Amino acid sequence: MKKLLTIALVLFVTNAWAQLDRSKLPTPSEAKEIKIGDYEKFELKNGLKVILVENHKLPTIAWTLTMSTGPITEGDNSGYTSMFGPIMRAGTTSKPKQVLDEEIDFMGASISVGSSSIFGFSLSKYKEDVLDIMTDILYKPAFPQEELEKLKKQNIAAIAQSKDDPNGISRTVSAVLNYGKDHTYGEIMTEATIENISMEDIKNHYDKFFKPNVAYLVIVGDIKKKDAQKLAKNYFGKWEQGEVNKEVFIAPVKPTKTIVAIVDRPASVQSVINITYPIDNKPGSADVTKLSVLNQILGGPSFSTRLVSNLREDKAYTYGANSSFGRSRYSGTFSTGASVRNEVTDSATVQFIYELERLRVEPVEQEELDLAKNSLRGSFARSLESRNTVAQFALNSELNDFPADYYANYLKRLDAITIEDIQATAKKYIKPEQAYIVVVGKAAEIAEKMKAFGEVKFYDAEGNPVEDPTKEVVSDVSVDDIFNKYIEAIGGRAIIDGIKTFEYSSKATLSIGGQSLDISRTVYQKSPDKFLDKTVIPMMGETKQIYNAGNGRVESGGQKMDLGGADMAPLKYLGVLYGERFYGELGYKVSYKGIKKVDGKDAHSLTVEIDGLTVTEMYDVESGLKVQFDMGAAGLYSLSDYKMVDGVNLAHKLIVKTAQIPMPLEFIIGEVKVNKEIDDSIFN
Amino acid sequence: MLKRFKLVMLFCLITTSLFGQNIKFEEFSLDNGLDIILHQDNTTPIVTVAVLYHVGSKNEPEGRQGFAHFFEHLMFEGSPNYDRGEYAKIIEAAGGTLNANTSNDRTLYFQTLPSNQLELGLYMESERMLHAKIDSTGIATQKEVVKEEKRTRFDNQPYGSIVANMLKATYGGTNYEWSPIGAFEDIDAASAEDFKDFYSTFYVPNNATLSIAGDIDIKEARALVSKYFAEVKQGTKEISRPTIVAPDLGEEPVREVVFDNVQLPALFQGYRMPAQGTDDYYAIQMLTTLLAGGQSSRFQKNIVDEKQMALAVQAIPLGLEDGGVFIMVALPNQGVEIEALEAEVDAQIEVVKTELISEREFQKLRNQTENSFISGYGSTQAIAQSLANYKVYFGDANLINTEIKRYQEVTREDLQNAAKKYFAASNKVVFTYLPKSQQEIPSGSKIKKEGGNNQ
Repeated sequence: MKKLLTIALVLFVTNAWAQLDRSKLPTPSEAKEIKIGDYEKFELKNGLKVILVENHKLPTIAWTLTMSTGPITEGDNSGYTSMFGPIMRAGTTSKPKQVLDEEIDFMGASISVGSSSIFGFSLSKYKEDVLDIMTDILYKPAFPQEELEKLKKQNIAAIAQSKDDPNGISRTVSAVLNYGKDHTYGEIMTEATIENISMEDIKNHYDKFFKPNVAYLVIVGDIKKKDAQKLAKNYFGKWEQGEVNKEVFIAPVKPTKTIVAIVDRPASVQSVINITYPIDNKPGSADVTKLSVLNQILGGPSFSTRLVSNLREDKAYTYGANSSFGRSRYSGTFSTGASVRNEVTDSATVQFIYELERLRVEPVEQEELDLAKNSLRGSFARSLESRNTVAQFALNSELNDFPADYYANYLKRLDAITIEDIQATAKKYIKPEQAYIVVVGKAAEIAEKMKAFGEVKFYDAEGNPVEDPTKEVVSDVSVDDIFNKYIEAIGGRAIIDGIKTFEYSSKATLSIGGQSLDISRTVYQKSPDKFLDKTVIPMMGETKQIYNAGNGRVESGGQKMDLGGADMAPLKYLGVLYGERFYGELGYKVSYKGIKKVDGKDAHSLTVEIDGLTVTEMYDVESGLKVQFDMGAAGLYSLSDYKMVDGVNLAHKLIVKTAQIPMPLEFIIGEVKVNKEIDDSIFN
Repeated sequence: MLKRFKLVMLFCLITTSLFGQNIKFEEFSLDNGLDIILHQDNTTPIVTVAVLYHVGSKNEPEGRQGFAHFFEHLMFEGSPNYDRGEYAKIIEAAGGTLNANTSNDRTLYFQTLPSNQLELGLYMESERMLHAKIDSTGIATQKEVVKEEKRTRFDNQPYGSIVANMLKATYGGTNYEWSPIGAFEDIDAASAEDFKDFYSTFYVPNNATLSIAGDIDIKEARALVSKYFAEVKQGTKEISRPTIVAPDLGEEPVREVVFDNVQLPALFQGYRMPAQGTDDYYAIQMLTTLLAGGQSSRFQKNIVDEKQMALAVQAIPLGLEDGGVFIMVALPNQGVEIEALEAEVDAQIEVVKTELISEREFQKLRNQTENSFISGYGSTQAIAQSLANYKVYFGDANLINTEIKRYQEVTREDLQNAAKKYFAASNKVVFTYLPKSQQEIPSGSKIKKEGGNNQ
């Protein structure tokens, strides 16, 4: 009966809402207050500051001990701070690493050491065991030599692995450009610096920074205040304090104009773009929250940002585009970028700059501002689901000397931000005209077009300046690629294969000794390998050069001369109609020689060996057309002014340079006849 | 120290079975077949609304690889009541966050909102279940976006092709053969009609589970669910759920070498896995912990620390509804031959097959498993997703509280037997990724383009 009643009720309720109006969004009910939650703070006599956030929902506790070290410049020994943690963790004077590992894993716990921190996590029932181990590591690390050796090996392998990661390369080179290789934020670990690292670096780091008077212990989890105080005193009370000398941070030099920094990665199908420069954005400063809102509008974690709406949803250039204004007591960086397919690298950069400038000159829409604020409000609320958030707030407050209500007032600060605030902040912090545009991608495809954005400089994966790599041999183009592109460019395989005969006439003017001589040249070709070149030079008469299926002859002034071997090779080269299709079959050895310039434009260079003659062919990289062939003593021919005739793209200008003629002869082709009947007898 | 540990060990054996997860929830269904699960937790004023559709890449018809994932993108393209590109804006304007993902077996959509916006979350999900807009503009745009996604996540990444390769090698000839991202040609070939058919077949309430976790009132939430989802009509088309029968790979391991744009070689070994929820599955999961869970694990201790042969060795069980692949990755240190590294990994596996593990090491695994269970449910998102997964795959949402028992039933002998059964040569695939510079160059021409440029 109850079931029937329930069903009836549900049906009734459902029917009552059958008139649901879906054309409007439902209105929210009253918002609940967002409570940050409490934390406790106390200090031990030795200066250790303890922050406690209780959470009895799950029977777990996390302990985080952090030392505030200030900036650290490693210099020639770059990498030792990242090795420090695992080495300190690798055993104490009473227990070797294996024993520690087993004890920790046995509890299902985790204990790790960073360059300036120690972290422990376990079920609350193991809290004292965890503290036993953590403090054993803290006070009596063994620093075993074999661990250093092992880490050196691992890091050398890791460096090799990261050399091909386009995102890793982008991060590295961006840091080097923004801060310089000698700066704490720009220095890189390399095989050389790894070699230099010794155990002394590790021990000095420990002696220098692991002291309670610069340390914070953050406890989050299933523990009461009384117990936390007792344990903190028992385990950390006897830790001796000492003087800590921190490095002075050197402010970076910001770029004064925009530089395009390209790192060539020939295998890339996408370019990783990063527009970046250093900024001042200190925690607690007046602009911090405004920058958060500005960033949320531009490229924050959202699908509704300027960048995503433009580059992904509108133009489909990329899977994701984002931005960030880094926050730091020392120096932050602005960064915005995306991975986009090669051919739209420049177009995407145009859009990035467009969006950056737009925020400076145009006020944002009210709807956009509200959306950004709501997103941040929502994200703030969600972050409080984890009690770690409160702990982080507490620690930040300590490190940056925030007033007690700094985080409690966050939402008020957020609400107060206006459209004018956003535009003023944009004007102050967004500077695409003084930035590094770092692009990791296929230089051969992208470098030329990126010149539009600023001076282009080339770097390797470690941020060292290098020569323009597009000048070198392009190793991922094959001879077949070049020939295929050429055939396509001159009309396509079908058309070219369908050409049985060619006949064209051309004229050139030779100026010698004040006189102008008109030279005419008529060429007859019959597929596959019949060729006749009839050239008429005033005062010299007619010269015929004939090639016919393996036989070559020159006739001039009544005399005939049969050619063979290397002498016939130039005629053989010219004599096979569109011979590029058959070089392999004919047994010509073809080699790719890289990219060279022809009339200022990049061209692929190939050598073709025919019976002892080496012909160098040049094919324009962009169009694929043959723009030059060099037969050595037999002449250098430059081809240009390509025009379509009956579906075939034919060079209508031929410039010939030979040793016999003092100046280049420029032949302009007039009439072209394709597939007109030609009698075989003319080739005899 | 020893005393304390002995005590702790004893203590563990007792308390492990005492502590249970206790996530309370309620379930009900609508007439149209929609299953709903509700979990109330008023600690933080947020709520996660998730919808799990029981369709993934394995349900894709012939010549339509990548469909299910592509469709996931299309589900953001609008409805008669909001425009394309608006879905995310609406959720974010309300202070929420959202995402979706597609696997071989299912597609998940979720958003986490301030709790006073529960109705909005339900409205939005019901809109796209009821009448998502599928048109040519949306299709055209998302085609390019999905291609960029493939380029970003797989083609442009060193070793990015491994999962696709592994699936092809271990499940060739079955619907697990291809990975969810699919193939460009198939995505290009699809028409609006194909997508509409897919929608009306799979995106129906009887193929979906709605999971809500967070700051809700159960009674109110139930009423709202009915309000928005009751009118969605049950699907009438047959839902094809292919049977996946793992193909015979032969007696010897299948081996392939891939030349990729990498500087460091990598060894990927895959063994086919038992399907989720089977007894053997839990044994394999615990073997993962034994081999690679923590610093004292077999791989870490022996290969990385003691012998220093590897930069890292990891085990990643890719568990699927009807099978799966247990994948191990090993990155050699400099000067270590990849064959030697493979021999070492095999040797460690051999030890597991031939030697029963000690009581202490076994207890360690149980403690590690318990710990990860307890710490795993810190967020409404995790809870909503887990409840939905358990319901859809096993028909039992309460596994969120009881699945730990399946692990606790595994014995030392079970571990050894599972290793013998699954880590066998006849069940094995090995991919060696080598730098292109190691490829032999044929004389007279340069290397043709490889990997990443197949468009």
